[in-house]
Amino acid sequence: MSASSGPLLLQIRDLRTYFYSQAKQAFVRAVDGVDLAVFKGSTLGIVGESGSGKSITMLSSIGLVTSAPGVITGSVIFQDGDKPVNLLGGLPDYVYLEITDGRIMAVHKQQPQWMTRVRQNLKPYRGNNIAMIFQNPKAAMHPYQTIGAQIMEAIQLHTDIKDKVAARQMALNWLDRVQMDSPRLRFDNHPHGLSGGMCQRAMIAMALAAQPSLLIADEPTTGLDATIQSKIVDLLLELRQDLGITTILISHDISVIKRLSDDVAVMYGGRVMETGPAALVLDERNEQRHPYTHALLASTPRRANANAQGYLPAIKGEVCDNINIPAGCRFLSRCHAINDRVRDRCRRMEPELTVVAPGHQVRCWLRQEDG
Amino acid sequence: MTDTILEVKNLVKHFRQRKRLLAPRADTEIIPAVDDISFYLRAGETLGLVGESGCGKTTAGKTILKLLPATAGQILFNGEDITHLERRQFRPYRRHMQMIFQDLDAALNPKMRIRDVLQEAVKVHSPQLSSAAVKVRVGELLDLVNLKQNKLVQFPAELSGGEKRRVGIARTLAVEPKLIIADEPTSALDVSIQAQVINLMRALQNRLGLSYLFISHDLQLVELISHKVAVMYLGQIVEMGVTQQIARAPRHPYTRILWSSLVNKRTLETTAPVVAGNWGVYDFERPAAGCRFASRCPIFVAKGKPSACTDPATAPQLKGVAEGHQVRCHFPLKA
Amino acid sequence: MLFRQFQVEISESNQLSWWRTAGRKNKIYVIYGLAVVLAVLVSYGLGALHWLPHDPDDMNFDSLMAGPFTGGYLLGTDFMGRDLLTRLILGTQAYFLPGLMAIAIALVLGAVLGVSAGYRGGRVDTVVVYCNNLIDSFPRLILVLLVIAAFKPDIYYIMAVVGVTAAPLVASLVKGKVLFLRQKNFIESAIALGIPARVIIIKHILWYNCRALLLIQATLGMAEAILIETSLSYLGFGVQEPIPSWGNMVQAGANYLLQGNFWPSTAPALAILFTVLGFHLLGDGLNDILERQQ
Repeated sequence: MSASSGPLLLQIRDLRTYFYSQAKQAFVRAVDGVDLAVFKGSTLGIVGESGSGKSITMLSSIGLVTSAPGVITGSVIFQDGDKPVNLLGGLPDYVYLEITDGRIMAVHKQQPQWMTRVRQNLKPYRGNNIAMIFQNPKAAMHPYQTIGAQIMEAIQLHTDIKDKVAARQMALNWLDRVQMDSPRLRFDNHPHGLSGGMCQRAMIAMALAAQPSLLIADEPTTGLDATIQSKIVDLLLELRQDLGITTILISHDISVIKRLSDDVAVMYGGRVMETGPAALVLDERNEQRHPYTHALLASTPRRANANAQGYLPAIKGEVCDNINIPAGCRFLSRCHAINDRVRDRCRRMEPELTVVAPGHQVRCWLRQEDG
Repeated sequence: MTDTILEVKNLVKHFRQRKRLLAPRADTEIIPAVDDISFYLRAGETLGLVGESGCGKTTAGKTILKLLPATAGQILFNGEDITHLERRQFRPYRRHMQMIFQDLDAALNPKMRIRDVLQEAVKVHSPQLSSAAVKVRVGELLDLVNLKQNKLVQFPAELSGGEKRRVGIARTLAVEPKLIIADEPTSALDVSIQAQVINLMRALQNRLGLSYLFISHDLQLVELISHKVAVMYLGQIVEMGVTQQIARAPRHPYTRILWSSLVNKRTLETTAPVVAGNWGVYDFERPAAGCRFASRCPIFVAKGKPSACTDPATAPQLKGVAEGHQVRCHFPLKA
Repeated sequence: MLFRQFQVEISESNQLSWWRTAGRKNKIYVIYGLAVVLAVLVSYGLGALHWLPHDPDDMNFDSLMAGPFTGGYLLGTDFMGRDLLTRLILGTQAYFLPGLMAIAIALVLGAVLGVSAGYRGGRVDTVVVYCNNLIDSFPRLILVLLVIAAFKPDIYYIMAVVGVTAAPLVASLVKGKVLFLRQKNFIESAIALGIPARVIIIKHILWYNCRALLLIQATLGMAEAILIETSLSYLGFGVQEPIPSWGNMVQAGANYLLQGNFWPSTAPALAILFTVLGFHLLGDGLNDILERQQ
């Protein structure tokens, strides 16, 4: 697989999504300056814990965060054929900041214009070029329509096949393709009549039926039983090899990311901490990785990770809370690798992503050579 | 003085479900959530109960704690039969056996401060304690679970997932239990917090001599923390034994499938693809006669669908295949 | 970069203070509602102590139906020359205690039914749901009139009916709370800890989790009681002349409306409007502040 090379399909630059929390009277910086690049034909895995902003990043990119104030700045360049399009183009114009003494006191969004603009920007792409599958397929599918009808609708809407009989045949093909057992029977089932794994398959069929160039899979295996999980992963792997579809895979489960991704981005506290080829980022022996990635892998509850007494090398502290964000490195309070050489810098300033190997970037002062 | 703290003999728990609203009592269907399970747990040990969702592992835990009435069977705690005790008679036993719920919010009244939650828990079984003594005890509990004192004035909604879990553990420890039934204690937590909680549970076991019944769907997690493992499938234990044996040499085909389906295990060693089969959900209305796993079983197919597996008269029973290793299968895999 | 320069505002206190986080609209509602409650309480106290500006039955035939601020009458007089302000203050006597009784019946009955429906489920649950549907589909005023026809037009009988008919609604709300706690496994975990059932019900369910809800229902119940009492008095079934009630004051004044003397009926009508509105807004504001926190 060609990792970190070739033409780009999607490029996210400095994406920031802030919400205002009424209860806490403060800003939640869900996504706080994210840069990502997805290469054509490759799979980008985004790993992160809750609150790392991995899902919000993708939802913001395709205009699904519409609540106030939602996305504030950034650009998401989608390569439509040869023509680059900014999916967030013009959106920041409809946001106004109320600033007193250099602090953001409030963010106002002109909701109607914002919504119109989102619709204008994304109408040609959403579902058509960009498809999404969600964690909870039963909630994401229409409960009163049969899965067959829903897949047919996707086909008729997004492809050249407008004829009903042909669309039905196509839908059956897709159900067969996602290894649904007895597709003809399942065609007329409602989502609630299917088990979780089957429903996820139907959802994948529906997403792929539109023949998108980009598939965003948000925790596709979470909540499924272990045996079903591995079958869904197998299916995604197979489909990716057959169709060569570009995928963004969001998951908190590193083992899933490891099996499916070419490139990996590790997110923490709304920021990308590390990005690069999966072989480098998830390699247990790679010394150049970010301390967070290292600790995350080492603390996964497995016998192999435990010491002789059975204790795991746990990461101390709590997950970054996105409100009280420190001035320096976000991971500082939990970092085990910090040393006297960098301690001062870690406290004062947040490091930038630094190239440590071809295609491999790390946001850590320890990995920067000078000083 | 017996070494066995908990013994469960032929425990059965059936749920009744009326087929229609206001249907007569006779017209109910029976769902055998837990169907004849037996095991024992030694003091200071951990028994892992593994299985997929819907296999009855949580129901088993709740039935043992008498949160649900048992349909049949016996539950012995420290050698005493507690199966048929009345609510009031059973209350003194509750201080010895506690449960950690999967739901992080389970232990926490959303409108109560953490201090009140813990003080109440301390006072439940020792109402004679003075308020000063209660305060001291709450401080000790916080130390035990590594929580800061300033969390005491907060409400549950202000805590993070890991902190909620710690408070939940502190609350169960408040009554000084000997046995803790932990129902998926880490599944609702972030990856980086899971390890903290696992370490905490192990440290508490070493320090206080606790026994755990550890319920989880994650075989690798159970392997890490348990001395013994029982694998459940549709209400029955299909394989039980010492952790090393179950991990290194599973004998029941279902356990083997559970292991081989672990996503990251397969990246390390490229095994053959997981056996195909009908992965439907167990149909409780028309229970498969004989072995419950037969419809998903690769060996059943490979052996040419022998009638011994589907005949209810010859349904497989748990039988020993090695020392401390039992399997419910006519054709156990080779070690 | 634009955002680097700004420090996002950080809240100083992480305590969830319900008043601090309340919206401006709800604060105004609650302040106005509390003012109304205070006014009603003061009026009731003044009436009970007979600290009144005038004798309520003292007729001044020299100034019949006088406008406000005339001849020592702050709000003017009615068709018999009696002081309107005095009669308005005394009017609170007509509904205050009976209203409290109605609320007490509704809350106690509702809490008991609601907890047993949520805690035990089964038959009680079915009964509560059916009662709620039944009462929703039957005009309450008609029911009250039936009771009057069957017994006697005593305000306490009427308020007992109001209380009993309001109970299923309270019960269904309490049941909802219990089911919410159930679903969070909270009740199960309290049992597992060994907390006795009555402590769970009284302390954890009713006191900690239902007190806001019951308070809100109490304010709404008072509004309902006022409306029922004044409606009945208006129709002549409730409090009878010469004892003042806002309802019979509106009725008495209405006879002179066509003659252009709108004030004697409008004053008690406005009193009803602002009081009922006050209780409703208080309930509404408290509901938004206390119940939608999470």
